[in-house]
Amino acid sequence: MGIYILKRIGVAVLTLLVIMTITFFLMNAIPGSPFLTEKSTPLQIELANKKYGLDKPLIVQLKNYIVNYLKGDLGTSLKMQEGTSVNEIIFGQGKFALSMRLGLISLLVAVVIGIPLGCLAAYKRGSWLDGFLRVVTTVGVAIPTFVLAALLLIVFAVKLSWLPTLSGNLTGWKSYVMPVISLSFYYMCYIAKLTRTSMLDAINQDYIRTARAKGVNTRGLILKHALRNSLIPVITYLGPVCAGIITGSFVVESTFSIPGLGKYFVQCVLSRDYPVIMGTTVVLSALVIFMNLVVDITYKLVDPRITLVSKEE
Amino acid sequence: MKETFAKLSPFQVDPERVKIGFAADDFEKASAEEKSSMVETRKSVSYWRDAWRRFRKNTVSMVSLMVFLLVLFFAFIGPYLIPYNYSNQYRSSQKLAPGEYSDKELLIKSVEDDIDFMFATALQPGSITALSAGDYYLKYKGKAWCFSLGKTTGDTVFAIIDGEFVKIMERDIKNGEITASKPVDYFKTSEKDAKAQGYVKLDGVRSVFPHVFGTDSTGRDLMARTMYGARVSIIIGVVAAVIVLIIGSIYGSISGLAGGRVDFIMQRVVELIYSIPEVLIVLLLQVVLKDPLQNWFDSSNTVFAKAMSDLGSGIVSIFITFAVLYWVTMARIVRGQVLQLKKQEYVTAATALGASNARIIRRHLLPNCVGQLVITTCLQIPSAIFLESFLSFLGLGVSAPMASLGSLCSDAIATISLYPYRLVYPAVVLTIIVLSLNLVGDGLRDALDPRLKK
Repeated sequence: MGIYILKRIGVAVLTLLVIMTITFFLMNAIPGSPFLTEKSTPLQIELANKKYGLDKPLIVQLKNYIVNYLKGDLGTSLKMQEGTSVNEIIFGQGKFALSMRLGLISLLVAVVIGIPLGCLAAYKRGSWLDGFLRVVTTVGVAIPTFVLAALLLIVFAVKLSWLPTLSGNLTGWKSYVMPVISLSFYYMCYIAKLTRTSMLDAINQDYIRTARAKGVNTRGLILKHALRNSLIPVITYLGPVCAGIITGSFVVESTFSIPGLGKYFVQCVLSRDYPVIMGTTVVLSALVIFMNLVVDITYKLVDPRITLVSKEE
Repeated sequence: MKETFAKLSPFQVDPERVKIGFAADDFEKASAEEKSSMVETRKSVSYWRDAWRRFRKNTVSMVSLMVFLLVLFFAFIGPYLIPYNYSNQYRSSQKLAPGEYSDKELLIKSVEDDIDFMFATALQPGSITALSAGDYYLKYKGKAWCFSLGKTTGDTVFAIIDGEFVKIMERDIKNGEITASKPVDYFKTSEKDAKAQGYVKLDGVRSVFPHVFGTDSTGRDLMARTMYGARVSIIIGVVAAVIVLIIGSIYGSISGLAGGRVDFIMQRVVELIYSIPEVLIVLLLQVVLKDPLQNWFDSSNTVFAKAMSDLGSGIVSIFITFAVLYWVTMARIVRGQVLQLKKQEYVTAATALGASNARIIRRHLLPNCVGQLVITTCLQIPSAIFLESFLSFLGLGVSAPMASLGSLCSDAIATISLYPYRLVYPAVVLTIIVLSLNLVGDGLRDALDPRLKK
């Protein structure tokens, strides 16, 4: 187990390095200079390049990035006020914390509501409730996040004015409702579908029949015996969910005007602010990779039958 | 002798107990009737026929398939059935609600009953006012009706009234009323002669077609744009899925068949790409590829480059993104299948007969994965459509005046508090496409791969 975790951490670090390299070369391939404006002269651009070390060979620049990142220094922005550090941009003003809070709550909502809904549907299989849930979840995975967000906005904020149009810094529970729903709805539906399928699978297993024969009541049967086994596919799906929630946050944060990191990432890509692109990509990727790592280890803990070191050949 | 024989074969009948006798008619040729009783009456059921039979029984999937076919009709045939074009801006008809007519259109509508054919400046893209002096013709009943304008006219309707006798009327519209109505001198000729004499064609209409979905802020018809957007989205989805299919199946089958060290390395690459949060890279790629692609379109003259430039750099970079990042799921699935299949006897037999690896993959392995390939490709289409709409929403993806369902939604969201209905149509069409393809994919899974059926 220890070896496995070490191995996985090694792979995670390697992945992060690869992502850094890809991002670095990609952003350098964006045509034009970040300092190019209508007023700038070639001399100014050259001086600016020199100041930020952009005149050095690419390989050296990449090495500098990696060395600085190891020290925890994400560099300084090229575009913002003189000397604004990327650490400040990402973690300052609660941007990162805001995005994390929104993301984690959405993840929690998706899991905490999705799994019981799936169990309920499997438990009441064939009833109208099952049919209803099936329709909702099937439609739920076909609606894009931004459409859902816009619909919620128009119905609850503009027409009914129950909830605020701008969520801002997420003060008060009302400002959470719409962003969290639009961010988590897709995944909630997906998790519910997944849970239902694997629950039905588990219910048909022999050990469930044995337990039933021994007189375990239905609720205990579902909660204690079937649920644990049917959760495995759900846990595997949590990795993609984390990546998806980060992606979704780009849309949700711009729809509800939340000044989070997701909204910022798109802006910095478009403005060619190299260190900020690099910083946000690495931080977000690290987050996703870390979550994947956690998911994989949990996966192993939940189901000891799984051998993670593949022995297919 | 008898005993040894009995030992050799457990089914051996005791020959002493069997009385063998032949009648003469045993040696006659079988009659046609007897022969036909030996012919298999039931045709052997092919894989596809069998799958189709199972698919047809699945009501939900069949309905989804029908719905998807309807959407295809809407997207590909629809644009030819309505007189509006996705990029034309009808300047007198901006910001109309669904089914609403602009004042000018209403006015023209009020006169449409007593005429058979008309040209109205208010209905022409971009022209709100003027038709400058010159020679024009209207094409009606295969003939060209030529007339000349002495002076520039304002809002005008030229109508052909084909009752007892033919006449062309010029009707001026000012401040929402028909101010003048006077006959125009004309002569009838063939279209070819009219063109030869330098007459300019005016495209007429018979009646004012409603803006069923309304119009946007620049006067473009939203139904035409939704149809066009649906077409673009479906094309993106299908092409992206085919790209994923090709790359994924080749990579997966090579990896699975080769095994050993090759497989190990190829699988590490897959794992690496798998763990990259692709959307971050996709956003970067969109920005990075934009200018180089544009340069390539401008410089290259090949047919391929021409076709690509018609699609635009946004869409091509989506394809490239899929080719680079999204094939890994397909590759994993194909590899898994190939690992199972390659142990089958027919693969061993093919190897023994000297078939090359390429031939084994092409003739034996991939055809046997076809069920999985079809299912995964079908489910890949909605995910590509989702990604494109996400990118368009963020302002990447397709560029104006082109439209995709995502960019239409994104445009609508910008003005959502004033015109909420603009979001409804593209969003509903997008949802229907994704929903129906998901359900068709589920149905295909049940039909093509019965082992997976729960």
